[in-house]
Amino acid sequence: MAFLPLANLTHHKLASVLNAFGIAIGICMLLTLSGLARGTLFEISDRAQAADADLIVCPRGWGDSVTTRSGVGLWESYKKLINEEHSDIVERIVPVFVWPIKLAGQDHRATGVAPEMWHTLTGGRKLSEGGRLFDPDNKFARWLEKELLTESDDDGPAEDLDLSKAPPGGFELVIDERLAAAGKFKVGQQVVSANHTWTIVGTVPAGVITRVFMPRRTAQYLFGDSIQRCTMMFVKLKPGCDVGPAAAAIKKTTDQDVMPLTAYKSMLTSKFELMFGYIDTVNGVALAIAFLFIMVTLYTMVLQRNRDIAILKSSGASNFFIMRQVMTEAGLLTLCGTILGIAMAFGAGQLIAHIKPLYTVEITPKWVLIAFGAATSGAVLSSIYPAWRASRVDMSQVLAQD
Amino acid sequence: MASYNDYILMAEGVCKSYGRGAARVEVLHELDLTVRKGEFLAIMGPSGCGKSTLMHILGLISTPDDGFVTIGSETVTNDNSLRTYLRRTMIGLVFQRFNLISVLNAQDNIDMSLRVRGIRPDQRTAELLESLGVSHVAKRKPSEMSIGEQQRVAVARALAHRPAVLLADEPTGSLDSASGHALMEILKRTNRDDGQTIVMITHSAELARFADRTVHMQDGVLIDHQ
Repeated sequence: MAFLPLANLTHHKLASVLNAFGIAIGICMLLTLSGLARGTLFEISDRAQAADADLIVCPRGWGDSVTTRSGVGLWESYKKLINEEHSDIVERIVPVFVWPIKLAGQDHRATGVAPEMWHTLTGGRKLSEGGRLFDPDNKFARWLEKELLTESDDDGPAEDLDLSKAPPGGFELVIDERLAAAGKFKVGQQVVSANHTWTIVGTVPAGVITRVFMPRRTAQYLFGDSIQRCTMMFVKLKPGCDVGPAAAAIKKTTDQDVMPLTAYKSMLTSKFELMFGYIDTVNGVALAIAFLFIMVTLYTMVLQRNRDIAILKSSGASNFFIMRQVMTEAGLLTLCGTILGIAMAFGAGQLIAHIKPLYTVEITPKWVLIAFGAATSGAVLSSIYPAWRASRVDMSQVLAQD
Repeated sequence: MASYNDYILMAEGVCKSYGRGAARVEVLHELDLTVRKGEFLAIMGPSGCGKSTLMHILGLISTPDDGFVTIGSETVTNDNSLRTYLRRTMIGLVFQRFNLISVLNAQDNIDMSLRVRGIRPDQRTAELLESLGVSHVAKRKPSEMSIGEQQRVAVARALAHRPAVLLADEPTGSLDSASGHALMEILKRTNRDDGQTIVMITHSAELARFADRTVHMQDGVLIDHQ
């Protein structure tokens, strides 16, 4: 029965609004922080799944750290070895060179990939803007290969190379649409990063494995000091091949780490667990403070309403009835605060998406339910003691003061 | 001679004291009181003689140290559920300071007392407010009513569930003379027309004349029966 609790809340408007707002802040924090952390990090792991590949080959011992590693890892000669030994199961192998690059004020893992292999990493996504991919005819790559590779496949003296004589295409980037929006980048625009000037030649829809792509040879030469070594290789298996046995076979051949792409995602998400734990702890503390605030307020209200409670008891109200009034009041406050908090969280999500387009705030129905659950538990826990105190009010003492 | 069944309220050998040791004060001392069904009884006495303590014991707000109270056919024990049940069904209380719930309007104050008792509010609330001449304040909160209006609403609240006994503790104590007399007329009419049993505490002999019978208290005992 919300008759009296509702009257109490509407009568003490400021206190009610402040209490509801306190809860709303806690709920908003819970949803926004968890939504931001999980949304942004799961977006990264989901993008890893977007590649049209089945396996990843990386240097032996990298293990879980493959998700954060960049630079030199494998000899590209493994591509030839795998192709020779496993031509029956392997459809294609895509060596990539990963290097961190800063754009729009944020570090990104840029993927260096051969133009003809690019579609493997995008999972079929095509350029949404810009007519062509970086170094489309591989002129820059071929020029580098000619300058650096000898018959013995040994790299030449890289530091002596005069890049001004190279054909165009080497310093071109393709970025995803979210990065383009965040940095307000346009196709044809030049950007400076990693001590070089790059031309953005195209954008690709968001959801691809990394936000930045560049020619593999350029990345290898600039950041790896060698065009024969890559960071890792993506392997696409022929239709019908089992991933597990294929991974084991390639691992045996190369003696390097080979893992399914699904494992790559779970490695990424497992790395987030610590951060999620930290964020959830912060959220828990914020909620606990919000409900401690409610408990103190309810307790104060109970003390102030001793007379009302005594009157109700003198009319025959049971202890349970009195407790129910206080708990209903806490429940109503919590309900208002939770609804307000959810609305605030969606607003905060929109605001964050506007200010920081690269962040993803994902408020899922599951987390809305969690918020409701946390709020309900908090309301019950924070109102038990004030409600119990209310039920213990000694009406004879209070009414004797008449 | 009245039979046992004619009494709606009885107190026998009721004792009550406050404090401990040297500070102990005996407020009621082996007090006996009987109230017949439909009677309007006034209890008079000077300040501090124990009138309000007696009222609280009769209203089951506090418990006697010794002796017992019978309401209707139920002898009241310390069983909380029985006391709550009797408060809910048998007793209506009117306080000197009205004790309306400040956040509720007049109608809601009465409805609330019904809801507490598990009674669904109906037309009776409006009828009571009408009969007590306060229907115009039905939607007003206590702070928006005059003192006299507040006390009438408090009387309406006490009568709403048709109690067996209406206990009124100096109901005119906060009212001016005219309002006090008007309230007494209402109580008298309720007693006369509806057969409502009323036990009223007052220190005014003039107001006590509205009652059928007056008893006097001094130092925690009844000293005479008129």
